[in-house]
Amino acid sequence: MQYPEPITQLIASYMKLPGIGQKSATRLAFYTLGMDEEDVTGFAQALIAAKRDLQFCSICGNITENDPCIICQDTSRDQTTVLVVEQSKDVMSMENTHEYHGLYHVLHGVLSPLNGQGPDDINITSLVTRLQDHSDISEVIVATNANSEGEATAMYLARLLKPAGIKVTRLAHGLAVGSDIDYADEMTLIKAVEGRTEL
Amino acid sequence: MELNKLTVQNFRNYSNLQLEFSTGINIFLGANAQGKTNLLEAIYVLALTRSHRTSNDKELINWQNQTATVSGSVWRDNYKLPLEITFSKKGKKALVNHLEQAKLSQYVGNLNVVLFAPEDLELVKGSPAIRRNFIDREFGQINPKYLFNATQYRNILRQRNNYLRQLQLQQAHDLVYLDVLTEQLVNYGAHILLARKSLLAKLEKVAHQTQQAITDGQETLTFKYVSAIKLTELADLTAIKTALTNKFASQKNRELQQGTTLVGPHRDDLQFLVNGQNVQSFGSQGQQRTTALAVKLAEIDLMKIETGEYPVLLLDDVLSELDTKRQTHLLKTIQDKVQTFITTPSLSDVARHLIKKPKIFLVEAGKVTEE
Repeated sequence: MQYPEPITQLIASYMKLPGIGQKSATRLAFYTLGMDEEDVTGFAQALIAAKRDLQFCSICGNITENDPCIICQDTSRDQTTVLVVEQSKDVMSMENTHEYHGLYHVLHGVLSPLNGQGPDDINITSLVTRLQDHSDISEVIVATNANSEGEATAMYLARLLKPAGIKVTRLAHGLAVGSDIDYADEMTLIKAVEGRTEL
Repeated sequence: MELNKLTVQNFRNYSNLQLEFSTGINIFLGANAQGKTNLLEAIYVLALTRSHRTSNDKELINWQNQTATVSGSVWRDNYKLPLEITFSKKGKKALVNHLEQAKLSQYVGNLNVVLFAPEDLELVKGSPAIRRNFIDREFGQINPKYLFNATQYRNILRQRNNYLRQLQLQQAHDLVYLDVLTEQLVNYGAHILLARKSLLAKLEKVAHQTQQAITDGQETLTFKYVSAIKLTELADLTAIKTALTNKFASQKNRELQQGTTLVGPHRDDLQFLVNGQNVQSFGSQGQQRTTALAVKLAEIDLMKIETGEYPVLLLDDVLSELDTKRQTHLLKTIQDKVQTFITTPSLSDVARHLIKKPKIFLVEAGKVTEE
């Protein structure tokens, strides 16, 4: 026997979310049936609002309600430094430190031909034009992940930007703060020794 | 480390068996199809939680039963460590010191074994890829930095080959990114080559001595590392990096035409020379077998040098393939050094008298008796 049409539709919609299969989707759909109408309306509106009211900032590529985003509009921030990250989530992580006061640029990906992402497929062209238009930017900090793709992206940016006289830096590798040496894996320790600093 | 007790329940053709071993040489003697190799397999499984003969664990369970158990007690620097592994339809359970381990990786490493089976002859006879895999696997076990560099290299190589293919098909055009991938490959490749150079030199020294010992000084084994760059002339990382960079530059057009990476440690080979001749093309069956054995035995010594402990050696059907002279020298080389388990259908008188107090087990139709 088939479920009534509206429920099948709802199950199919839930199944479009990552990590949700047939069983979980069915459970969620029946839970939704039992919810207050007010809550369901709120839920549906939140879904639509997230899609309709959000856009990518035309300057840095971060998700925002208003273009340009709050960070790009904030003139009190350090206008000479741009931190390059892979995704919007990384901007939030950096912002939560309350220590970095410069600007951002979101690549929306990392160079990886195996995943179909070449230099033209991620947000690099807009970074280059941005640097050409704003000559006061003197340093680009590359904060891509510490794996081979992140490293390749950082090296690519360095080759592109250094000839224009811009300082390109990369985040440090090493021990996590508050961690015990005996729990660190061998490669992290080797990298930490290589990147040691003088006291 | 030594294995001094083994208990096997419902494993292959054994329903219930308990054996105590000598710390020297242990021999499983019996006709074909009686279950000799099954005993070696049980030791291998106890060490690594998986079999070298099958990827399907269910095959290990005796066909009339639901679960199979292998347990043993291992001597490590003056303390006894009980190990146990159970296979059932649901999966496997591994216990160290009677405590179940959440991760199998925490279990593996408590008993190290090195197995030499007839298939290992491929190390000498087979394709270069088999030798490269051997190098990467063994050096990776000894040196974690080597493992890291080799993994990164493989990853970048796949990206680079894919990108070269895209360039060839005109789906991509950015050559700066290709240079970045080349630079990464040169960087990790140079680390790999430098580590291979120093570890192979150590391995060669021990393998040379072993081959001399097995052949009574008649055969000299040397290694020849075959590479697009002249590795022997390059002393340090910077020199290797420069040589690789130049090689990549000279091959760039060919790489763009063919759409694949043509230079680097993934295309190198290791040749074994016996008395100056490549044993792969000019060696006899016996010489090839001895060479493969000498390289494997050298690996054991290298493990001892680098990690401080000898593993347990498992020799599957190796004696019968060697003449009495080679048998004698092989047994002389390994006894007093490594705990060894040997399977053989027959034992020559020489071997029998040569080994100091060997423990011989007669294997017949799933029954094992001490001689």
